[in-house]
Amino acid sequence: MKKIKVALAGQPNCGKSTIFNMVSGIEQHIANYPGVTVDKKVGFFKYEEYKVEMVDLPGTYSFSSYSLEERTAKEFIIDESPDIIVNVIDASNLKRNLYLTFQLLEIGIPVIVVLNMMDVAKRRGIEVDSKKIALMLHCPVIEAIGSRGVGGEELMKSIVATHENKENYEEFKINYEELEPHISLIEKEIEGVTSNLKKRWQAIKVLEGDTTIIERLKQNIPNIEERAKQEERVFHERYDRDFPSFLASVRYESADIICHKSIVEKNIKKETWTDKADKILLNRYLAIPILVFIMFLVYEISIVWGYKLTDYTWPLLAAMKNFVVDILPSADIIDVPMITDFSIWMVNSANALMNYIPIFFILFALIAIMEDVGYMPRMAFILDRVFRKFGLHGQSTLPLVLGGAMVGGCAVPGVMATKGIADERARMATILTVPYMNCLAKVPFYTLILGAFFKPDMALMMFFISTVTLFIALIVAKIFTSTILKTRETAPFLMELPPYHIPTFKGVIIRATQRVWVYIKKVVTIVLAVAIILFAMLQFPGLSKESQAKYDAQVETMLQKFDKKMNTNGYYKEIDTREEVSSLLNYYDAYKAKRMVATSKESAKAIDEEYLKRNAIYYKFLKPKNDKDAKKINASLRKLSKERKRILRNVKNEKIENSLLGMTGKFVEPVTQYAGFDWKINVAFLSSFAARESAVATLGSIYENNKADGMRAEEAMALNSGYTPLHAIAIIIFMILTPPCIATMIVVKIQAGSYRWMIFAIFFPVILGIIMSSLVFSLGSNYQWSGIEAMSYFYLTVVLLALILGLFPNRSKNWKGGIEIQNNNVQ
Amino acid sequence: MKKTLDMVKKGRRARVRGLCAKGKLLHKLLDMGFVNNVEIEVIREAPLFDPMELKIHNYHLSVRRSEAHLIEIEEQE
Repeated sequence: MKKIKVALAGQPNCGKSTIFNMVSGIEQHIANYPGVTVDKKVGFFKYEEYKVEMVDLPGTYSFSSYSLEERTAKEFIIDESPDIIVNVIDASNLKRNLYLTFQLLEIGIPVIVVLNMMDVAKRRGIEVDSKKIALMLHCPVIEAIGSRGVGGEELMKSIVATHENKENYEEFKINYEELEPHISLIEKEIEGVTSNLKKRWQAIKVLEGDTTIIERLKQNIPNIEERAKQEERVFHERYDRDFPSFLASVRYESADIICHKSIVEKNIKKETWTDKADKILLNRYLAIPILVFIMFLVYEISIVWGYKLTDYTWPLLAAMKNFVVDILPSADIIDVPMITDFSIWMVNSANALMNYIPIFFILFALIAIMEDVGYMPRMAFILDRVFRKFGLHGQSTLPLVLGGAMVGGCAVPGVMATKGIADERARMATILTVPYMNCLAKVPFYTLILGAFFKPDMALMMFFISTVTLFIALIVAKIFTSTILKTRETAPFLMELPPYHIPTFKGVIIRATQRVWVYIKKVVTIVLAVAIILFAMLQFPGLSKESQAKYDAQVETMLQKFDKKMNTNGYYKEIDTREEVSSLLNYYDAYKAKRMVATSKESAKAIDEEYLKRNAIYYKFLKPKNDKDAKKINASLRKLSKERKRILRNVKNEKIENSLLGMTGKFVEPVTQYAGFDWKINVAFLSSFAARESAVATLGSIYENNKADGMRAEEAMALNSGYTPLHAIAIIIFMILTPPCIATMIVVKIQAGSYRWMIFAIFFPVILGIIMSSLVFSLGSNYQWSGIEAMSYFYLTVVLLALILGLFPNRSKNWKGGIEIQNNNVQ
Repeated sequence: MKKTLDMVKKGRRARVRGLCAKGKLLHKLLDMGFVNNVEIEVIREAPLFDPMELKIHNYHLSVRRSEAHLIEIEEQE
């Protein structure tokens, strides 16, 4: 089968991805362009005897080298030399779209123009004559409505036909008039350089000052850059104009001519739907309330409803866990085989992350809808002024909201949503600050501590915790952008406000699925790797010989007691050996675990039947009914199970205390003591790195010990820990600032593009957290602050600091403009 | 004194007369269509007065005042 490689190019908002989805269907995958974080979507489809590979280039307004996307797109064209370029243009916004088309036509690779959104153009009273355009551009022009699947067949046909007729390809030339002699001169200069690229195109790019092309040509002609500058000087002297502005003017003028000849516009003055909607959505007084409402809705639907949805998906994950437990070797009283322990640990770690998938799917779908509708740039438009003061960008709004501007969010989708931020410095700052927002998984942790120490003031404290995070994020952003990110590229704020569109169902689902898949592939796999390390750190070196003997003795007494009680029982011969008791215990616990997650009567019944089949005699002990002897066994069994759990928990806690992680916790105690943290808290923080949920579990199990089971974790903590409310505040402050979970760190790595930033994103908050909580704790102990006082002072300081920092102006580096060059460098 | 785009009131039109920018910013402005003589209409300001929304080449664009300040214009009636 013959292959055709097609590059899909177009300006942002031209409906390029709908055209891409239309022709390649679901057979597509996402990768990265080599060396950069720009997404590369590749789709495949067959047509006649051809296999077509279509690469979706990043959407760009131009084809120079002034942004990462443009550089990436150009390097793809140069290095991979596609057979055909398909240029999607928005029929309702022809003029600006043609600006890019001219630059693509110059390259010398056959171009097919797709006039997308013909329906929108028609609705706006714009009649486009595609035949005339084809005649003027010397290339095929196809009319399409991507959202309704119109034009796909013609596009495929045209790709094949153009490929077969490649030899007869008619070159397109814009006449750059006064510039032509300079182009010819440079063309002559580079004549000797062998390359499959058109000489004329390279010459134009050299004159434009395009770094990608100049760098490549420098290898053969070292003085090419000076030559271009020399030409520019001559040109400037003669016409008092510069190359870039002259080229742009000619291209826009040519676009204007084509528009005049091929378009008939009726009712120009008529208000479009977008104009009407913007009158409300961008209204001076209504815009912010509407934005807050939309954010609230997104939050409510994804986080709140999504969380409820996990009630239905959790049993599936629990069932998976039970299945794994079933096939593993079972425990002998308290000797749990390592493989069983390990597998359960791994399943638990995976489940903790998989549990968020429903939330993420809804969230990603909602983001896709907002992107497709065109609300995203409007959001940036409304709030840019606030965020700019802190070195961020209007487009930072959504990532921060997702990260948890309200009661709780998740930094993973938050960081993933930073992709579209045009300004590199603001994008990096957003990536690094989103993890400070209020993580949903921290909420149980706060509830535990507030429940233990601040019962009457829980609401006020929760308000402090959930609002202080935004101010902290802003402060951190400001600090980063004026220090370590100071020299990062910033981009001028020139953002299109595209017309509103109704999103396609297919497009939204494809995008949401792809993003969830990225999460599963990249995040879950790495988190599992870290889970293995953590498991090892919690297991080794394990119990000492003396402790092992102590616990074995406890088991022995427990079993003897049971045996004594049972030996008059009618069923005694079923349970008169250690092995039998052990298997009965396992049977009992497994049954209870399964019944816990059964959601309906039918499923409960199915479990009953399964266990009846597995062992009919043991089943009698589960449901003794009127059998007296069985009833006795049932009662003792329940006690036995409880006793075994207690011993297991003690074993576990002792293991943790002696483990590598426990040692680490103790090792850092000299530092953390200034914040009032003992080793137990340290261990909880360390283990929460895998997933924050485990902080609660670890703390819970450390403090639960030895007491009767009826006590809840928070009561146990308040009673057993010896902490004061001030300790609790230090812990809360540390938790607000840290610890970033691994899942977040992985996406930080993906989005920031380097492990160094990831390491930084881990250590900076930890150090900041230790410093802040030590400060509050020491001051608090010194001045005898109550917990509430300490928290209020901390809150006020943070808010004040944020407001003060907001008053300092931010400098923009790496692009020039402004008053200092105003008088000597006018176009 | 030369007039710049950030001085243009909502609902008014102006023509581009020059750009006081270099390098990346100049290219970006040119790519978005700020070429000589093109007509711009100021549609509205953001709720916090900055950035502003423009109509240029029949599409809508938002620009911060700091960038609009670099675009020299001549106001239209």
